Amino acid sequence: MKRTTLAIALAVLAWTAWDTGADPIRLGRGIPWLLDFVRRMLPPDLRVLPAALVGALKTVEIALLGTAMAAALALPLGFLSARNVASPAVFHPARVALNFFRSIDTLVYALVFVAAVGLGPFPGVLAVVAYTTTSLAKLYSEAIEGIDRGPVDAITATGATRLQILRYGVLPQVLPLFLSYVLYRLETNIRAATILGFVGAGGIGFYLQTYLRMIDYRAASTVLLVTVVMVMVVDAVSSRLRARLI
Amino acid sequence: MIEVAGLRVVLPPAVVAVDGVDLTVGAGEFVVILGRSGAGKTTFLRALNRLVEPTAGVVRIAGRPLTGADATTLRTLRRQVGMVFQQFNLVRRASVVDNVLAGRLGWAPTLPTLLGRFAADDRRIALDCLAQVGLAELAGRRADTLSGGEQQRVAIARALAQAPSVILADEPTASLDPALTSSIMDLLKRINTQRGLTLVVSQHQLETALAYATRIVGFRRGRVVFDGPPARLTPPAAAAIYAEDPGP
Repeated sequence: MKRTTLAIALAVLAWTAWDTGADPIRLGRGIPWLLDFVRRMLPPDLRVLPAALVGALKTVEIALLGTAMAAALALPLGFLSARNVASPAVFHPARVALNFFRSIDTLVYALVFVAAVGLGPFPGVLAVVAYTTTSLAKLYSEAIEGIDRGPVDAITATGATRLQILRYGVLPQVLPLFLSYVLYRLETNIRAATILGFVGAGGIGFYLQTYLRMIDYRAASTVLLVTVVMVMVVDAVSSRLRARLI
Repeated sequence: MIEVAGLRVVLPPAVVAVDGVDLTVGAGEFVVILGRSGAGKTTFLRALNRLVEPTAGVVRIAGRPLTGADATTLRTLRRQVGMVFQQFNLVRRASVVDNVLAGRLGWAPTLPTLLGRFAADDRRIALDCLAQVGLAELAGRRADTLSGGEQQRVAIARALAQAPSVILADEPTASLDPALTSSIMDLLKRINTQRGLTLVVSQHQLETALAYATRIVGFRRGRVVFDGPPARLTPPAAAAIYAEDPGP
């Protein structure tokens, strides 16, 4: 039984290798071109540094604003899709809707919003909001489902209303987790936002794509370096904040 | 103060936890519900404020039916019934005084409390109650930094803060060091005698029940098998409460 499973898995992988044209020899032949590419990127052209920094700032803004709006919008959705808070009539459809919209990536949302509202950072913000809202709502609802029932019972026993029970029995237990998830999403959104510019949704990706198209690899490498530093700085700040929350 | 008639609670899937209980508790009594674990004590107490929904029967608090009451009536009745739990059930990350303030939720208007606002009177009551359990100086500490005995005192202060006429305490000392049992039971007894509150406390320890109760109600397999003052709880009567269940 186990041997057949392994055989089937290997067969599937072999077929995918054939179908995608995966070929180590072809990769080997490409290596000189890769080296040539890297050589042409060096040294970075620092004259485009101001433009790259402006792009990086835009990217951070897109991620920050989009994540913050999503963090708030996801709150009601998170409660509505938590099994132990919402009634089955509510949370089943809410779950299905979340899973549906969550399976669409930020970049796809960006294409849609660029078509709807035009080029620039704004469709980028909308794309981040669209994806992050559903992914945070899912994380929120799982946190809510994992709470300790005890404080909820205790608050219920005081004669509190449903909203008061949520505010005093549930929220204090999940809020640190929520904030930690929001920071985590901010980190991934910074990365997602770097390529939003490729489809015209603003930020540093726009500069990267432009310089690559102009075959100005030394300018492109400056943009790449700025991107790496930006992501590392945001990751460091965010993970330090998250460590404090738990 | 509490009238229970024909109370039956079936827990899913099909466990008969409380099996036809009739009981009237008068104002100012200190009733200990005595029984082995699994005898239905916890379910019985939780049915008294409808944390568990009774399957059949009637519960009245101060003459008003709790069973079948609408949401608003249920809340005003719950307000009169403080509850203390085996696991304390504090919000661990919140401060001690905020935990006690939660006892005021049934009285405070919803909207301001959702924003975390309480009236000055509510805060004064909370600090008063904290002082009564001897923890005034710990008001600002996070609840989970306190010892188990201290956490249970905070939970009692929270119950007091709702200005109840009854306090239900579900095995309040079972998660504590045996040495702390008497300090918590003494505190509950003081609340009973000094404030005239009615107490219904579940216990599995016979000695503790005998030392504090004005009345003992023995539970076995969801039914009342003894009801009377501690003096009447003879060794055979106690043995009947604690008897091993017959095999299936």
